[in-house]
Amino acid sequence: MKVLIRSARIVDSQSPFHGQTRDLLIENGLIRQIGESLAADEPVQVIEREGLCVSPGWVDLRVSAKDPGFEHKEDLTTACRAAARGGFTDIAVLPNTSPALDSKDTIGYVKQVTMGQPVSVHPIAAVTKRIEGKDFTEMIDLHQAGAVAFSDGEHPLSDPDLLLKTLQYLQPFNGLLMNRPEEQRLTQFGQMHEGLTSTLLGMKGMPALAEEMAVERDLRLLEYVLGLGSGEKPAPPPTPEITVLHFSTISTARSVELIRQAKAQGLPVSCDVAAHQLAFDDTALMSFDTNLKVNPPFRLPADLAALQQGLIDGTIDAIVSDHNPQDEESKNLEFDNAEFGIIGLETAFAVVRTYFPAYPLEQLIDRLTRRPRRILRLPAQSIDENQPATLTLFDPDLEWTFEKTASRSKNSPFLGTTLKGRALWIIGKGLAEHV
Amino acid sequence: MQQLSVRHLLGIKNLTENDIQLILDTAREFKDVINRPIKKVPSLRDITIANVFFENSTRTRLSFELAEKRLSADVVNFSASGSSVKKGETLLDTVNNILAMKVDMIVMRHSSPGTPHYLSGRIKANVVNAGDGTHEHPTQALLDSFSIQDKLGDVAGKRIAIIGDILHSRVALSNIFCLQKQGAEVMVCGPTTLIPKYIGQLGVKVSHDVREALSWCDVANVLRIQLERQQIKYFPSLREYSLYFGINKKMLDELDRPIVLMHPGPINRGVELTSDAADSHHSIILDQVENGVAVRMAVLYLLAQL
Repeated sequence: MKVLIRSARIVDSQSPFHGQTRDLLIENGLIRQIGESLAADEPVQVIEREGLCVSPGWVDLRVSAKDPGFEHKEDLTTACRAAARGGFTDIAVLPNTSPALDSKDTIGYVKQVTMGQPVSVHPIAAVTKRIEGKDFTEMIDLHQAGAVAFSDGEHPLSDPDLLLKTLQYLQPFNGLLMNRPEEQRLTQFGQMHEGLTSTLLGMKGMPALAEEMAVERDLRLLEYVLGLGSGEKPAPPPTPEITVLHFSTISTARSVELIRQAKAQGLPVSCDVAAHQLAFDDTALMSFDTNLKVNPPFRLPADLAALQQGLIDGTIDAIVSDHNPQDEESKNLEFDNAEFGIIGLETAFAVVRTYFPAYPLEQLIDRLTRRPRRILRLPAQSIDENQPATLTLFDPDLEWTFEKTASRSKNSPFLGTTLKGRALWIIGKGLAEHV
Repeated sequence: MQQLSVRHLLGIKNLTENDIQLILDTAREFKDVINRPIKKVPSLRDITIANVFFENSTRTRLSFELAEKRLSADVVNFSASGSSVKKGETLLDTVNNILAMKVDMIVMRHSSPGTPHYLSGRIKANVVNAGDGTHEHPTQALLDSFSIQDKLGDVAGKRIAIIGDILHSRVALSNIFCLQKQGAEVMVCGPTTLIPKYIGQLGVKVSHDVREALSWCDVANVLRIQLERQQIKYFPSLREYSLYFGINKKMLDELDRPIVLMHPGPINRGVELTSDAADSHHSIILDQVENGVAVRMAVLYLLAQL
């Protein structure tokens, strides 16, 4: 494959060409040449478009692909198609499938099914067998089989001893634990954020406290495992490069503050926020729209502001889609009976551009590329000659209406909404896909 | 003729002060009607109403059915427990099946908050909320206001204490909205675990001392402990609850001025109210039941005019 990208603005803080508008010649999966007015002598696919930008391929740390087991909601092929449309060249998929991604077999299945896709799919293996929160999976074996991280995905690890031992067990091979912080005994039967709005709606709330307590607890456990915080070892320098504990989809102001402090103390932690979390507060639920039923729930305006600040100052490392497809039978229901989740792959970038327009594009791209790549221990990518061509081409200001989804499910509050910023092509694994 | 500002009665939250007044004024006319020898009027002839109850109810369903029949509407009843919907047919299918038989209005009770709201956006018939989980129970709040008006002349400026299980009560929330819109002061009183944490932000006083509540108020609206709606333990025992939050006649007699005692029913005698209190001259509990029919007639009549 040979592709010539004409006059694209390069958005990549790690690239010597950052901020410049150049032609890029892609050949056999490599960036062969970067220059001005490159000749197109041979048969070559030319990509040319006004407003075109190029960055390293975007990475999504949290996708629920539902395959195997729930293919009526999504399968790996439709998930990859949705990822490509959203500009993601790399997605990490959650283990909450049936059977769960808790064995070499299931990891192998994910890798094999997605082999021919331009999108690279990185399986996250379960910490516990069948995601029951009890017995450990064979984590070394799963790591060898290609699991990129460990997590019980949508199920928080509630047993502190289990979390502690997981952190210990992952240490020798530098494994990553991802946990969704939630003390579930405080969120039982909860439908939305606990506050004035949930009181007005008579709905059982999920207090912010449930997330914050879990963040605090997990940070203490990590300190203990690493022998920090008790004077056993000298304090490490702040903000380590490689993190060993990652908090998925944080949503409250206090969670941001706790992680900010932990990073300043040198704890190897990272975290992400779901793009849709930046778009709504809990008052949106007044409509009882089940497409807004999501976990973590939409919080207060002050939490939104703190999440934005966390992104600006780097406390929050990554923006994820938290793509969670649910079929109509799981959503077109009474609110209590509806499932949690929003499909987000196709809209994540645009939602941040639209609802957080003050966020500098360069930082947004960093939170979609360099940082999540480093969290997953994937090789660094930068736009330079003779570097691998895993690229996302996009227009940050293009206005478009989200009318049709490539996902098998339609549970998005953004369907029918006009958004700003859109991916146009992805180039991955030697393939170019127009999205 | 005056009209309601809404097509459905989903909650008091969605009503204006004028709507509330219009319903109460109309109810007063219907109360006269149901006290005549011929209790029936032809107002809703040719209108078919389905009472769709996904949660057990005896008195609310009976009250609605009587209201419908006294307005000469055709009435059908459908009852199912919330869980049977999970087994097979969706709520929307169930309701659409009923509507396919040419039903004009749906009176619905459901355990999930917002279900009448959900339905109103998807069907053509008028929807009347007869209680949605722990959210609202608008006709109960309206009949409570009507009963206060009846007894004390006016709701504005009165102090109403709602005592009991506030957390699991749709009656409490609808009453708070309804009373505040009419200019009354509201206090909620109960064990700390049965008071929603953020309820103070609605502009109500909060107390955990039943004697304090009784001596503050003009009207005490006592709620039942909703054991069937408590999925988690909130207090140690009914014995302790009745000892510290139960109301007896002696407590009422010792107050320096008489108060009005209300209860939406059914009463757990000996738990939140002793029999001597419930049957005392303070109580207007049976008046509430009578007024319920008139208020529901008014709601159905006004919605049918739109």
